[in-house]
Amino acid sequence: MRQKRNSGQILLIAAFIMASLLLSTQLYILEVGRITSETESDSLNNFVSAIKQGSRHVVIGSLANISNGGQSSTLGSNLQRWSSVLSKQYQFGKSVLNYTLRETAPYSSGIWMYWGSNGYGVSSAYAIFTYKLSDREVDINQSYVMNITTAVLIESSYQAASGDVKQVNITFNLLIEGEPALAEQITIYYKVLDGWQIANATNNYTILDYGNGTYFASFLANIPSPNVEVSAHVADQREIYVQANATSTQI
Amino acid sequence: MFNQKGQIRIIEAFLAIGVIFSALLISATFPSSPSLAKQKSLVDIGTQALINLDTNGTLGNLITQENWTAIKQSLDILLPIGVSFNLTVFDENLSPINSQVIQNTNLLGHEIVSVHYVCAGQNRNVQFFILRLQLSWAR
Repeated sequence: MRQKRNSGQILLIAAFIMASLLLSTQLYILEVGRITSETESDSLNNFVSAIKQGSRHVVIGSLANISNGGQSSTLGSNLQRWSSVLSKQYQFGKSVLNYTLRETAPYSSGIWMYWGSNGYGVSSAYAIFTYKLSDREVDINQSYVMNITTAVLIESSYQAASGDVKQVNITFNLLIEGEPALAEQITIYYKVLDGWQIANATNNYTILDYGNGTYFASFLANIPSPNVEVSAHVADQREIYVQANATSTQI
Repeated sequence: MFNQKGQIRIIEAFLAIGVIFSALLISATFPSSPSLAKQKSLVDIGTQALINLDTNGTLGNLITQENWTAIKQSLDILLPIGVSFNLTVFDENLSPINSQVIQNTNLLGHEIVSVHYVCAGQNRNVQFFILRLQLSWAR
């Protein structure tokens, strides 16, 4: 009788091994695809966050420039440059950043600067952005607003010391985006006749920082007029400058 | 005459065991998905470090001041121990501007990932920079 052939078993084992290899390869490819997809998603989110952060820095830097005497067109020109730089980035696809400067009163060309005599001063910039990132597998549309505002509020009082010498007290608050903030630089002025004088050591000038955005300044000055006008010139820690004037009340 | 069917089956069984073991050994040396996950986390870690450093405009200010040492020290703190990095700073025209190397280890021969970051300075003269941060897990 002819002996039974065993080649069928070897074929089965070979088929089983090949099936296992194919299956494991497929699983590996799926896993790699999943991780790559997650990586791209996280990287995209980070990329968009970085662009928003950069837009904020451009608006802050522009406002610092304008509030310190720069041209009001600086905001628009800086944002145009920022948009141009981003359009050259092709890391995740075509990147387009558009912006609109607020023109609704009191803003003009995205800027509002009011340094009033009623104890309130504000320096503000407002821009609306739309960002589009597009590629074969990516389509992101995001709109966001950047409103950068530094404001100062002052209250002043005085009492006669001797003759025309007056003891002047000023309390002022600095606010950034509506929240109390610390100042980088503070200069207090008082008006004598038609000129402004800086309150300094010769006036026994002292300033107290409460550490919460509130400051108390005090000085002695020879002011003949019963109208004691003072002015606080403040730069916040972003170099945005703001000032406010007030007339002191007698106590 | 002896029946040799049993011997062949034993040889086949040994062969099968050998094939399975060698398959296991080969699969262990594959570039496995955990390696990709590590690279993914490295990209995230690098990007987050730059975003954190840039939060209040610090990164742009340090670049403007050409304080490369401070940038290196900041990255040393922000990146986890065991991560090697090399940072190159370019201006708007893609010309490198860092006059000294900003790195903690030479990355030659390492498996690296690259993070690109666009930075806007927050100072009055707004400037733009493009950063390339190369990262690798230390061996």
